[in-house]
Amino acid sequence: MANDEVTLTIDGKTVTAPKGTMVVDAAKRVGIEIPVFCYHEKLGPFGCCRMCLVEVEKMPKMATACTLAVAPDMVVKTNTEKVEKAQKGVLEFTLLNHPLDCPVCDKGGECPLQENTFKFGSDDTRMEFNRAHQDKATPLSPVITIDRERCIACQRCTRYSDIIEQEQALVMLNRGFNNEVGTFDNQDYDTKFSGNVIDICPVGALTNTDFRFKARNWELKTADTLCAHCACNCNMTFSSRLNKFMRIQTRTNDHVDDGWICDKARFGYSFVESKNRILEARSRFNDEERVLETKDAIALTAQTLKKIADEHGPESIGLIGSPYATNEEAYLYQLMFRQGLKTNNIDHKAYEDLPGLPINHYDFEQVESSNLVLLIGSDPSEELPILDLRIRKAVTRKGVKLAFLNDQVTALDRFAETALRYDVGSDGDAIVALAGGLAEELGIEKGKGKGKGKEKEKSKNSCGIADKDMKALVELVRTSMKICVIYNPAALSAGSMVKLRQLLQTIGKIPTVECGAIPAAPATNALGAVDMGLLPSYYPGGLALTDADEIKKRFGEDSPLQAGLSAMDMIAKAESGELKALLVHRSNPVADFPGGERVASALKKLEFLAVHDMLETETTRLASVVLPSIGPGYDEGTTTNIGARVQYRKRGLVSESLADWQIISKMAGELGIERNYQSSFSITAEIAEKVRGYEDISKKTIKNEGLSRQAIPEVLGDLDGSVSDESKSKKGALRLRVASYLFANDKILDANTSLAHHFRSSTVHLNDKDAKKMKLEEGDAVTVSSAHGKVSATVAVGDRCNSGSVVIEKVSDEQGVSALQESAGISWVEISKE
Amino acid sequence: MPELKLLTKDIDKKDLHKLSVYEETGGYGSLKKLFKKKPDEVIEMVKASGLRGRGGAGFPAGLKWSFLAKDVFPRYLCCNADESEPGTCKDRLLLEKTPHLLIEGMIACAYACKIETGYIYFRGEFQHASDLMDEALKEARAKNYLGKNIMGSGFDFEIHTHLGAGAYICGEESALLNSLEGRRGEPRLKPPFPAVEGLYSKPTVINNVETLCVVPYIINEGPEKYASYGTEKSKGSKLVSVSGHVKKPGNYEIEMGTTVRELIYELAGGIRNDNKLKAYIPGGSSTPMLPADLVDTPYDYESLAAAGSMLGSGALIVIDDQVNIVESTLRLASFYKHESCGKCTPCREGTRWMWQLLDGIHNGEGTNQQVDKLVDICDNISFKSFCPLGDAAVGPVASSIKYFREDYEALLKRNAEGTA
Repeated sequence: MANDEVTLTIDGKTVTAPKGTMVVDAAKRVGIEIPVFCYHEKLGPFGCCRMCLVEVEKMPKMATACTLAVAPDMVVKTNTEKVEKAQKGVLEFTLLNHPLDCPVCDKGGECPLQENTFKFGSDDTRMEFNRAHQDKATPLSPVITIDRERCIACQRCTRYSDIIEQEQALVMLNRGFNNEVGTFDNQDYDTKFSGNVIDICPVGALTNTDFRFKARNWELKTADTLCAHCACNCNMTFSSRLNKFMRIQTRTNDHVDDGWICDKARFGYSFVESKNRILEARSRFNDEERVLETKDAIALTAQTLKKIADEHGPESIGLIGSPYATNEEAYLYQLMFRQGLKTNNIDHKAYEDLPGLPINHYDFEQVESSNLVLLIGSDPSEELPILDLRIRKAVTRKGVKLAFLNDQVTALDRFAETALRYDVGSDGDAIVALAGGLAEELGIEKGKGKGKGKEKEKSKNSCGIADKDMKALVELVRTSMKICVIYNPAALSAGSMVKLRQLLQTIGKIPTVECGAIPAAPATNALGAVDMGLLPSYYPGGLALTDADEIKKRFGEDSPLQAGLSAMDMIAKAESGELKALLVHRSNPVADFPGGERVASALKKLEFLAVHDMLETETTRLASVVLPSIGPGYDEGTTTNIGARVQYRKRGLVSESLADWQIISKMAGELGIERNYQSSFSITAEIAEKVRGYEDISKKTIKNEGLSRQAIPEVLGDLDGSVSDESKSKKGALRLRVASYLFANDKILDANTSLAHHFRSSTVHLNDKDAKKMKLEEGDAVTVSSAHGKVSATVAVGDRCNSGSVVIEKVSDEQGVSALQESAGISWVEISKE
Repeated sequence: MPELKLLTKDIDKKDLHKLSVYEETGGYGSLKKLFKKKPDEVIEMVKASGLRGRGGAGFPAGLKWSFLAKDVFPRYLCCNADESEPGTCKDRLLLEKTPHLLIEGMIACAYACKIETGYIYFRGEFQHASDLMDEALKEARAKNYLGKNIMGSGFDFEIHTHLGAGAYICGEESALLNSLEGRRGEPRLKPPFPAVEGLYSKPTVINNVETLCVVPYIINEGPEKYASYGTEKSKGSKLVSVSGHVKKPGNYEIEMGTTVRELIYELAGGIRNDNKLKAYIPGGSSTPMLPADLVDTPYDYESLAAAGSMLGSGALIVIDDQVNIVESTLRLASFYKHESCGKCTPCREGTRWMWQLLDGIHNGEGTNQQVDKLVDICDNISFKSFCPLGDAAVGPVASSIKYFREDYEALLKRNAEGTA
């Protein structure tokens, strides 16, 4: 350790800091502030603003403390007359042509330029000429406004675009005094992460268009909270004034976000004030709609569910929980259904997933310290943007290699060492081929039956990946020292999850490879939902139904042990009339689950459908009872990100309605589960007591940066009862992959969002070979149809997927792409010109 | 006092830029000797010759070559032909008249430093020189002076030319590298120095045209011969571009240590109209100007530094007594305001502010306090800017006030009288 530490002296104080630390950061350790503008810890040294000049013994010139790495016995002086003159001089230059519009500048009150001027500047100006004028408020994009007059050319924003985003979308234009921040050809600067430049701008040059002039920052009430969009759970500061939403800013947590948030986090929070919010409970029986007191709706729901369960048996009711809900809500809901209604018909998704992992569960920091990141079916750019940014950092600055096993091209492909593309629906075969190749190399799994061997052979030829490419990937995996596998369960076909787990086990057996995985389902708390037992075959903490003793010990003697139905099976049983009642929590199966109208018609057959949601959806419209959910912004509770970090989501706004956990606990109370929760943290405490892996989680332990939950042991049990019923291909039909799109026009990003400029029209991506065969060209209007439905789309031709497959991004709820999807197996579609 | 023509001996020979003519003068003769030596021996020879960088900083060339990061390949050689310093036109002479000499020098450097790829970064306006160079490179390739296994030596080397886009800052070595990589022409942070992380983050030698052109002489004649010329610490000859108010402006190759007086009055024929010398800028516009009474300063690195200026790129600008120094200074300040890359605050803002003040003073609107303020602004830029461009911009302003404050006061007085 001593070798990595350097001891030096700053203003007479002895400082010890790790090798490579910049003097400016070392000074902070002993409470010495060296002023900076251009320096930003995440961007690295640059040295252009010259604000941090210090004297160093034995150096002929003053040095910039932000570019000077600590050295043994270095003697730094930050408070000499010479340094003070330099600071005053540099500030004078910086302010020379800076407008004096602090009173109307959004940055006023939280402005490094203001602060440094007060602390280190002169009281007076010596500038006798008119200040140079530049363009005032100019849109840099629909969400960012640039005031070029205020810019001090520190290049933080342009370096961010270059180093962090790896886009070089924002650049310096022109030279010398005329230099300015801009884009090529004056295009919008509208990347997925553009908003971060607002936070890092040390002056009021880059401002949040939504927030401009809405409030002075000292009037704001702030909440240190988490983003509730994707499963990264980035940390952010949520500001409000008079209980009205004002703005969102980054809040650095290196374990999670590395100091950045995506634009969906920053600009995608208008839903907290959406007109579409469900503010009161209501019922609808025989086409008669009535507004209810929430307490009456609670009683009605609980009693009806109980009545139906008593009449038709517990297998006649079910719960579709929410992958967006907090751990506390998820835990309570499964408790209510398992202990109160004695059913395991509990799920939260339309795909297969399993709790636990056969190898380590890696977090985001491990992505950087690995030397190979293997993405399987995952598209972080659209699904988990901050993970995407972390991968960019790993590849470009940490020397990490990136490999893809996917059915489509993603934005990260350009950083990949190798990107193998299997045919849509052949993920299982591709995974088996990789696992088989590794097993062969390792000489394990030799004595297996011939049938297995044949299957291996077949898969190599049938997944659309050339043998030699697969061999190269096997070699890459085998020879990596530390590998991080990131897979998206939601993008895998029925039956592939078990194969994937086998692949992970095989990788775990390579003696020279340290390995871990990140299960990267995109929904906010997808991992928490799995951990909390929103699964038909697993109790919280990954307890399989077969582990009856443990279940009974933790959750009571009369815990139901009969396997439950998966969400898709519940919908199927609703259609057949066997399922009578369903409760849906913050989920919209009609729009989001495969089937579209088929889901709606099944739900209509239910005797009783209760929907507990935050916004009106296609599903709430079918409900017998609607319960209001307050949701992110107003709610409080913990979520578990895909890196297994449990963090606390604080409320930013106060709601007069009951919190979701209060509603659920009251319903559970109606069913005889008496608990006396004082706050969401009382439920967290119960989770720590009952749920494996969450033993250390408490209000105290997760306070600042959250805490990783313990590993949950993998039990390869039943796979949610899903059965693969591969539908037969039709001649000329293509395999459909529905891809994610970050800024889809759904209930969260509705027409009122300031991100509407990102909305896309329905597009079907065709391989150029298929397009040629079908005589289709870029831009053609087509109808994509399956046995069940139709979707209009515009053709895009390229190499996004293999020949024989098509990719449609889910760009809006209105697009209705789920109508084309089969509930299991490959969705075959045909394309015809409109 | 005659010139010492080590580089320019045959410079006036017709068609010297053609390979056949160049070979007649003994051109490429150094290569045979070169390939008989080990690379390290070549570096030692250059070290022993005392050759210092002719681009401006005067860093010992052999030492620079020996600093290359060990065992990191590929390495690159960049020839800095972005000759943009006002007053300087000596590299242009070499490039246009004797391009093969540069190629020969680059081969020697590349061989010594185990480099296989070289670039010549031309000033944007040097289209003609660049075209001639492309022709010369073609000829050299055809004769296997370049390419694979040069003259059976087993050594491979190729040279590419690149034209800048017209920025003074790209003569600064790290900005040159940025520009060559297709990035914005702005200086890079040092360390890492180019010898460790230069072009494409690989070890890189960057030398001025004239520096590289000296190398064949050292190989041919031996380092001792070269070192026998000049002063104790400034060895050999120096090409000096003499401009301004002299009768015979032009490039003169002199022995280091020749006095400025000899340069002006003997080689350049004296001052126009036999006027009195007022001041001279010894090493290009960025070096502080010196007054006439320092005209006997020997033209070498140490003597000019002792006199309070620099040898710089070797451009002597002569100013006679018909000139108000404020006017010359204003012109130079305008140049630096225009050429500041804008990366760092003191240079970007300071060069403009200095120009505004000088413009006001020149227009008769200045005050004595403003002259004092100029001195203070110079101090606030000096050694505080990111790269030497800021210091360069300060040079003429600070020195003009130091030596010729009366010229400023004359304009202020006019102002006072005018308003009276």
